[in-house]
Amino acid sequence: MNKSITAFLLVFITLAAMPFIADNYFVKLATFIAMYSALALSWNFIGGFTGYPSFATAAFIGLGSYAGAILQNAGINLVTAWVFASIITIIFAAFLGFAILRVKGHYFAVGSIAVVEVLRLITSSWSSFTGGGDGLNVKIMEGGPDFAGRVFLYAMLCVMLLAFLTTLWVDRSKFGFGLKAIKQNEDAADMVGINVTIYKIAAFSLSAVFCGTTGAIYASWIGYIAPVDAFSILTTLKVPVMVLLGGEGTVFGPVLGALVFVILEESVWAHFLEANQAILGLIIVFLIFFLPGGILKIDYRKLLAKIRGVKGA
Amino acid sequence: MLQALANGLMLGGLYACIAVGFSLVWGVLNIINMMHGSLIIFAGYVTYFIWYGTKLSPIVLLLPVIIALFIFGYLLQYLVINRVVKRPVLTTLTLTFGLDMILYNFMNSFFEATPRRISLNWGSFTIADIVLPIDRLVAMALAFILTFVLYLLLRTSKVGRAIVAVRMDRDAASLMGIQIPQIYAITFGLGAAMAGACGVLFAVAFPVTTNISGLLLGKAFVICVIGGLGSVPGALIGGLALGLIESFGSHWFGPQNAITIGFILMLILLMVRPTGLLGVKGYE
Amino acid sequence: MSKLFLKIFSIVGILFATNVIYAQETIKIGAPLALTGGLADEGKKQQIAYDMWLKKVNAAGGIQVGNKKMKVELITYDYQTDEKRAQSLAEKLITQDKVSFLTSPFGSGHTKVVAGVAERYGIPVVAPVASSESVFNQGYKNLFGTLAANSGIVSNMVTLFTKQYPQTKKIAILGREDVFPKAMAAEMKIYAEKAGLEIVFNELYPVGTLDHAASLSKIKAAKPDWIYVSGYTQDLVLARKQMSDLGVNAPIITMITGPAYKEFTDALGPLAEGISSATWWHHSLTYKSKDVFGSTTDFYKEFVAANKSDPDYVHASSAAALIALQMAIEKAGSLDKDKVREQLASLDVITFYGPIKFGSNGMNQSRELPIIQVQKGKVVVLYPDAIKQANLQLVK
Repeated sequence: MNKSITAFLLVFITLAAMPFIADNYFVKLATFIAMYSALALSWNFIGGFTGYPSFATAAFIGLGSYAGAILQNAGINLVTAWVFASIITIIFAAFLGFAILRVKGHYFAVGSIAVVEVLRLITSSWSSFTGGGDGLNVKIMEGGPDFAGRVFLYAMLCVMLLAFLTTLWVDRSKFGFGLKAIKQNEDAADMVGINVTIYKIAAFSLSAVFCGTTGAIYASWIGYIAPVDAFSILTTLKVPVMVLLGGEGTVFGPVLGALVFVILEESVWAHFLEANQAILGLIIVFLIFFLPGGILKIDYRKLLAKIRGVKGA
Repeated sequence: MLQALANGLMLGGLYACIAVGFSLVWGVLNIINMMHGSLIIFAGYVTYFIWYGTKLSPIVLLLPVIIALFIFGYLLQYLVINRVVKRPVLTTLTLTFGLDMILYNFMNSFFEATPRRISLNWGSFTIADIVLPIDRLVAMALAFILTFVLYLLLRTSKVGRAIVAVRMDRDAASLMGIQIPQIYAITFGLGAAMAGACGVLFAVAFPVTTNISGLLLGKAFVICVIGGLGSVPGALIGGLALGLIESFGSHWFGPQNAITIGFILMLILLMVRPTGLLGVKGYE
Repeated sequence: MSKLFLKIFSIVGILFATNVIYAQETIKIGAPLALTGGLADEGKKQQIAYDMWLKKVNAAGGIQVGNKKMKVELITYDYQTDEKRAQSLAEKLITQDKVSFLTSPFGSGHTKVVAGVAERYGIPVVAPVASSESVFNQGYKNLFGTLAANSGIVSNMVTLFTKQYPQTKKIAILGREDVFPKAMAAEMKIYAEKAGLEIVFNELYPVGTLDHAASLSKIKAAKPDWIYVSGYTQDLVLARKQMSDLGVNAPIITMITGPAYKEFTDALGPLAEGISSATWWHHSLTYKSKDVFGSTTDFYKEFVAANKSDPDYVHASSAAALIALQMAIEKAGSLDKDKVREQLASLDVITFYGPIKFGSNGMNQSRELPIIQVQKGKVVVLYPDAIKQANLQLVK
């Protein structure tokens, strides 16, 4: 446990110090890392701890983006808009969870992807409210790139920190224990007296709130959002990959996964102009075969044996 | 109104074809194959390029493409996917998602995303004020025929019945001497083959481009939930249902909302009757 | 060991030195492009055009900056048609690669994102393929677009067509729910109403529609004299084909911006016959200019020789965007961003692509945009009179 906290602090402090040790490009990179860490940690609540593979991440991000943008355009100040966007997202998630958490496994996965699509389609048609296909403009923050860069870096870092603290709390609490029990065997957990429905909805809502916040912050940061990018299927598929990469169900895993993924993306495959998607695909395949539990759970002996071709135990 | 009905049915036949392979793989192997959309488009491109080069009618190409994709699917499953087939849905879905990215990139690089259209110009014929484009009719008819053939295959052939047995109870089937990895590979191969067939038929009536592979996959999802997993008649019913819903939805509520209605229906069904209209109790 | 160290050090030193020296001698322009993903085809077109310009400029020694000539270095990144990457790469180009100027990618949404980043840093951005007013409505001072506003296209078309065929009374409008096509549909509604036409159908279809049968059936029932569809190439190809299948016809069929692209006419073959559209540029224009190409005809000849196919407006506008930047740099006499921006804002020139004069919101001023139609398999120009090749023909 302490190892996780130390590791996290190391990453956190490095990211926070970015404006003072490197230029804006790295500050932006750090902001993305913080954002994806928050998203990965969020997913971990429902996917890692509870074992329900959710692909609704993009739905919450998009909802937060639009809520934040619309509120901001209505004159509400920046941070308040973000907070309200988060609240709206968590309420939505609670209702949604009540509806689709009745089904498990594949059906849940498919349902959660469908939610992303439905929200995108609704946002796209409801142009009077959301601007539809045109997208929404958000006033760009004054103050020049360095200042803005810092503001958004620290905003995302705050969310990342909150998400991590929540993860710590969940991991050690009775609530977390209940979630893990549900993951192991939902019926047994039910029989032991855990209120499975409430627990699941709570986990799902937790998995949504920080997504909503990052979505709202992102909208303010970029200054423009549109349905296809706000409810991006690619993002909703990338986030669980990050958690798998780092180690699902662990405390530090999601952060590690997000960090490694973003750095890989920036440094390695962005340079292969034609093949970058294929390389991402290959990395995913490699991940599935050789790192089934993520980086944190690597069993080096097993790994070597696998590479040598011998079927592991 | 009747035109909307006709449109819906024609679309539905094609949709059923899109879904049937996907449903089979999901129902039997418990794998959500994210590559399904891309496989359809891949077959579409191959059909287009062969047609372009040799002017061979796509109908002729149906059989070779089916066989080629069957082999591709079989090998892919046997060599790659088989290793993770017992893992939870997150793992298998992510794996097929990764494989899909590779295929997608390959298609974009080699075939380029420009929409390609096979110009057959078969025209259409009109009955009582309803226009029926011939190429869509042919696509629908062939889709039905192929689906029916698959159904017969599953019901009557030895291999087919083994597949059904595995779907119902994998362990019992194994105890009966059925080679599970073999059956899995055949099933996946069949799934890919149906995707291939769908791709050929699709290319007859629509412009082919990689941009829509995700869309096709989305339709497959919806149809499987509506119709039920692992069941060929289910995919058929689901496909027709979606075709009709989109057609009438577009007619009554405007094209903007037609697709949304399909998804919302799927969500509702998930909550209320996840096994779909005809599904056997699927996997959790 | 120390010998090795010395070797490495000297190599690194040389590289560093040459890099630094080299860096000071070139003008760096950043080009985030979609080379993979959904907009890859358009991105590649931009790249071809940029490269044409780059070759010519550098062959002549570079751009005249004050009293010396400096070569141009174009730094290209593939942002994979992903908005987040577009943003991140724009920032990378500015902070890491230290570009002095940026170009923007195809499409309004991603142009906006890149422009947002550039605005923060005060870097001038030339946008070759964004024409919707909504892209230029955020008050960015650094954004300059070479395509003229959408409205210019439609108003002339309505006037011309209704004058030639006064029996045109009813119009059906089908648009795609996406920045540019939606704007085109909205424009048509405005001008059609102004001209007194009756709008018998006016709907938008969502991104990703695979089947237009329902809409087309409704349009058929309304018996319009003019069918107007907006969307991207694959939508239009599908729509036209379905129109043919379902027997949906009208004397005038316009598809924006179908025939402007070769892919459209290739995919439809005989079905493209009679489709009208407008475009921002056509290779039969006869501008003569003082830019690196010299005239529209010369640009056209060079392009065909190198690529064995006709250029469309995306190619032309992309090259023109860089030409505008070049002229602004030459006029400013320096690479100073504020000076160049000023010169861009006050630019008023004729290029091979046509006149370039940016308005207060950064858009190129409206002018007589070519209206085209596919006749006997070829794209001909109907308007403006200066380059008119034929009259509008009704669709058989």
